[in-house]
Amino acid sequence: MKQIALYGKGGIGKSTTSANLSAALSEKSLDILQIGCDPKHDSTRMLMHGQWIPTVLDLVREKGEGNITTEDVVFSGYNNIRCVEAGGPEPGVGCAGRGIIATFQLLEKLDALYGDVIVYDVLGDVVCGGFAMPMREGYAREVYLVTSGDFMALYAANNICKAIARLSKRSKPCCTLGGVICNSQNIEGELGLVSEFAEKINSELTGFIPRSQIVRVSEVNKKTVLEYAPESEQADVYRKLAEKIMNTNPDPDKKPTPLSMDELETLAQKYIKA
Amino acid sequence: MHKNISRHDGCTVTGALTVTTFLRDSATIVHGPKGCCHQAVSVLHSSMLYNECFDIPDIFSSAMDEKNIIFGGEDSLNDAIKEALDEDFRCIFIIGTCISDTIGDDIESVCAGFNEKDSVPVIPINASGFLGGSFEDGFISALKGASEIIGENCNFSDKYSDECQIKPLVNIIGEKNLEYEVDANFSEIKRLLNLLGADVNLRFIRNITFDDIQNFNCASLNIIREDTTGDIKRHFEKLTNIPCISSYPYGISNTLEFLKEAGEYLNINPDLAIKHEINYQKEMFESFSDLRGEKISFDSFGFQKADSNLFTEIARHTGIVLDSDGVTIPIPFFTPVGTGGVFHMLSQWRRFING
Ligand code: SF4
Repeated sequence: MKQIALYGKGGIGKSTTSANLSAALSEKSLDILQIGCDPKHDSTRMLMHGQWIPTVLDLVREKGEGNITTEDVVFSGYNNIRCVEAGGPEPGVGCAGRGIIATFQLLEKLDALYGDVIVYDVLGDVVCGGFAMPMREGYAREVYLVTSGDFMALYAANNICKAIARLSKRSKPCCTLGGVICNSQNIEGELGLVSEFAEKINSELTGFIPRSQIVRVSEVNKKTVLEYAPESEQADVYRKLAEKIMNTNPDPDKKPTPLSMDELETLAQKYIKA
Repeated sequence: MHKNISRHDGCTVTGALTVTTFLRDSATIVHGPKGCCHQAVSVLHSSMLYNECFDIPDIFSSAMDEKNIIFGGEDSLNDAIKEALDEDFRCIFIIGTCISDTIGDDIESVCAGFNEKDSVPVIPINASGFLGGSFEDGFISALKGASEIIGENCNFSDKYSDECQIKPLVNIIGEKNLEYEVDANFSEIKRLLNLLGADVNLRFIRNITFDDIQNFNCASLNIIREDTTGDIKRHFEKLTNIPCISSYPYGISNTLEFLKEAGEYLNINPDLAIKHEINYQKEMFESFSDLRGEKISFDSFGFQKADSNLFTEIARHTGIVLDSDGVTIPIPFFTPVGTGGVFHMLSQWRRFING
């Protein structure tokens, strides 16, 4: 079983990337479970044809943990991809990070954490240790950083990189950096910038997803690109990404090297011209 | 992040508990996981036992669990307050922890909900565990929180009324309830006030009741145990219009100055009291005449900066010579209060010198 986690800044397009990646993986006749960890709970919507599925934490709140069954929280979406949304507390109250771990533990108790690939779709710009917990607890085995050439997105990615670097110093590290995925925002010099960023943190660019109108059109139609426009070039981009990830076996001895704030700024200045 | 975080004393919760639990007919709820309450109560209780205080104070925990941490703990706090209100307490204090503060619980508004409908005041103490600072910050917050109980007017209808008319009264604020010498220090202050013809009105807060606090305004002077930040003085001056002396007197000349200052505030001529105290100090030094000519040096063992003036003055009065080759005398952790404190300290010096 491969357990991959996509971490990245909120709004960077993680959900779109995760859903399309899951869809592409499912074409390989793999059994996929996708878990959305954003309190916005829109990770699996396109896989569910626009349906908002109930979140685990909402159910815990309403019914109590003991009364929840697998059927209540795991929903079958496109190509039998199993979809879960962790959800979160009201903004400003409670701890979403802790909630996510509670969700994983509940799924484990329900024997629902299985499949060929589990895709965790995790927020990475929250100033909360709780969001690094999936790595610490051994759920997120291979982490992919989703970023664009936007400075704040790189900053968030670099922070997650720091978390992995710290965890990999432990005697039994259980989490490695798989690579960097660039979800393009059409920023000038973006490919060069993100590639160099990946290299500098001792990793590699796993995929470059060009900005494409077809993504938006598919979303309006409440589908992933893989389902709405399977013949499109964009669908192939996601297939290639899926292929690459399936063939990646990150070396646990290869430690990430996060950048300092100064290094990150210098790098950005090199590519982003005012 | 707060500077001055002293971990050996516990967090703000412990600091706050050392105030609230000494109001006898009140209860305190620590709003956080059981662990926070346990940790604070252990520190508090063992220090109390050390001071021969065997009462077990009324402390409750809102016992936040994982569900509260994820969704917020205000409901648990509500339940805990309701439970406490079922018992016969005159007032309930709520102390927040790192956990409740981190996840954003609004303790003040939970308390406000009760204060609208219930006659027993439910008072939030701004604490927040280590997020709120140190033991001392918790202690100061609790003093401020508890001051909400102070009534608008002096209640002349009870036993205080007569004394209040006859002699000037003084409030003692912020005694260090976990300090071994707390009662000895108090007696020393009381003795000095008696010399002036004044007396103590209220110990805010040490073993008093809710109703006692209503007499707070009978006093014409407040004396604070120690006020390193100036925060306590500012707060009580603004709240009560009663003038404040911000520290107990330390050592020899400072004790005489204290009498003078207190006399001024109380409208009492301090000359007689000062004369009496000077004689008393002379007698005391006379009783240590065997130490004359002995050589000593001071060592603070890194705990605190030695206020050398104060200790040098005491040595000079006793006739002791300061010499780096002399017997090493440890500087006490708490500076001696009044002439009585100096007496106890000199007895210790004698043990070192003769030992
Ligand atoms: S420091 Fe925070 S977590 Fe620790 S006991 Fe104090 S309030 Fe609780």
